[in-house]
Amino acid sequence: MAAGTKPRRRRAGLSTHRSSFSWGRHRTLLAFLVVLGFLVSGTSGAVAYFLPAVTTALHVTGQKTTGTGGTHGRTGSGTVQTANPPPPGQPFTVLLLGSDNDTKFVASHVLTQTMILVRVDPQTHQAVMLSIPRDLWVPIASGGSAKIDAAYAYGGPKDAVQTVQNDFNVAVNYWAWIGLGGLVSLVNQLPGGGVDLISQMPILDVQYPYDLTGNNPYANQRVAILPGPQRLNGVNALTYVRSRHGDILEDIARSQKQQELLVAIKDAAKRMNLTDIPRIASSLGSEVATSLSPGQIGSIASLAKDFSNGNVTQIVMLSQYYSSQVINGQDALVPNWPAINTLITQNFPA
Amino acid sequence: MSPRQLLAAAVSLGLMALFGLGVYAALGTLQTKTTTAVVPTQEQALVDLPGTIFLAQGGSIYSLHNLTFTKLNAPAGNWVQVAPAPNGDVIGVDKGNGYSNVYLLSPTGRVLRTLLSDSSSSYFNNHFAYYPRVSPNGQSLFYSWNWIDPYANYNVDFEVLSVPLSNPSVTPTVWSLSNLYYQGGDVEPLPLASGGLIYAKYATGTPGNSGLVYSQLAYVASPGAQPQYLTTPAQNCSEPALNPAGTELAMICANNQLQTSTLEVASWNGTTLGTPRVLSTGPMAAMPTWSPNGSSLVFMNVPQRSLPFQLYWIPKASTSKPGAAQQVTQNLSLTATSDPVWYP
Repeated sequence: MAAGTKPRRRRAGLSTHRSSFSWGRHRTLLAFLVVLGFLVSGTSGAVAYFLPAVTTALHVTGQKTTGTGGTHGRTGSGTVQTANPPPPGQPFTVLLLGSDNDTKFVASHVLTQTMILVRVDPQTHQAVMLSIPRDLWVPIASGGSAKIDAAYAYGGPKDAVQTVQNDFNVAVNYWAWIGLGGLVSLVNQLPGGGVDLISQMPILDVQYPYDLTGNNPYANQRVAILPGPQRLNGVNALTYVRSRHGDILEDIARSQKQQELLVAIKDAAKRMNLTDIPRIASSLGSEVATSLSPGQIGSIASLAKDFSNGNVTQIVMLSQYYSSQVINGQDALVPNWPAINTLITQNFPA
Repeated sequence: MSPRQLLAAAVSLGLMALFGLGVYAALGTLQTKTTTAVVPTQEQALVDLPGTIFLAQGGSIYSLHNLTFTKLNAPAGNWVQVAPAPNGDVIGVDKGNGYSNVYLLSPTGRVLRTLLSDSSSSYFNNHFAYYPRVSPNGQSLFYSWNWIDPYANYNVDFEVLSVPLSNPSVTPTVWSLSNLYYQGGDVEPLPLASGGLIYAKYATGTPGNSGLVYSQLAYVASPGAQPQYLTTPAQNCSEPALNPAGTELAMICANNQLQTSTLEVASWNGTTLGTPRVLSTGPMAAMPTWSPNGSSLVFMNVPQRSLPFQLYWIPKASTSKPGAAQQVTQNLSLTATSDPVWYP
């Protein structure tokens, strides 16, 4: 028996040991699975939360600078024409584009009412904004000369970027485009649902386009933005930067106001965080496009938080930079290139 | 697998799913809010100011008395400006689609009379009327009204008009001849006890700075008279408010700065201004209003850029050593283009 017992004991002992070992392994495995389950579940929750942002990011960011027209540079052929991205920490230049993309225009051939060159120096925390008048008569990348706002209509962001690079001798590293609805949505999604601005004058326009809503894109409406400090929601902010009929400075004033709005958006964006991105991305939809990658946008956003408004130089080309002429039946501005070149050299060094 | 183990597994899976939902929900709570302001009736003022103050927010008019806000029971509309009227009533501006009408309201918001009706079925007969202000003798209603050039209907500058308060439907008296060249025109009339008028006049083309539009405070002794400028283009001042004694003028000035406005006070002798004293450096000071006894004033400002406008109070504003600005409200989004109205 004893001889028979021992093995049983050994077997029993071995079995107990194996069982204990196995149970321990099971417990470890179980714990691992539970932790993994929570991790997967939590990650799924986060992925679901950021999915709209990711979807939008895939759709609108990191776009190649190509296209034969197209509001978002999605179509057409061509090669990347922007300058190479600068090394981290080095100055870079972004061409900001804005279009009246209402239904008056063929979606694939909209003009750019807004062209603003922005040079950002991450080391000195200085930025320069230069508005390019939309009526400037220049050689455009697709051939011939035209108002500069046509470059985008003819060849999408590729031609817009190439035209600016060729004519102004500025290396454009990135571009970003926004439509009317995109601007309204962006401002509405800022903290507090608006921006603080000081309107420099009463803005009265009896023939402001009534094209954001309604069935007739040629309809007009009467708008009034009172002078002085005030808070503007998306629609009023768009009115502020778009109205020109009642303004003696017309496009020049619009350029000034567009730069003011950009600074105000920057101020408001300082109070935002990563979790705001899905909401904003969902609201913007196809109303924005950019060659910037999501990572680059994030870097610029965090960089902008350190910029004080005093470090942002705002430049609008006044009458010394062009002369008014009628060319091919169009009211155009003929550039004073020596003056413009000096301006560029001073503010957009290579 | 035993039932107990099955139950444990099911509970674990349920908890995991809840955890995932929790992460989703928690991320949502970290967002900055697009609606940060509350309606005034949900807030108690931080400073107990004497009397009653009327303010506009979100298309409604509110009164502030004993730290508490009350919404005026005005008809539904878009009430964008409020102004003082005789006998403790208030004047309200209701902005419609392409026009604005001006009404005399009781202190509780009941419409007593339509003062100016500028809505029309004819597109070009719609007009904007803003900045109503009753003359010190209570006889006249001054306001800014958008003129339309019949030969160039893009040209729609404001001009300052006045009508008898008792009969505002008569042909108005034209007080200011705006520049009429797409510069915004003349706004913010401040009728004086002397019979004259101070207002803000917008113009452009300062020497060496031809690209900027600016405002100057202008004084006229009679309707249509050539304006006498009280401030320089470089000061870029607007939104005048005279103390009850008629000796101190509060105003908002930009002083060649972009997107920054300061609150300043200067002495007023009836024809000229003294050297301004800066009471608030902004960043976006707006719409000063004196207290009924003239010792202090309230104005609009933002606690910091990108936050909504709140009401601020400056004690001893008329003295050479005014107190520091104190925030009266903290979670509102007040209409900064409307003067507060302050009654005893």
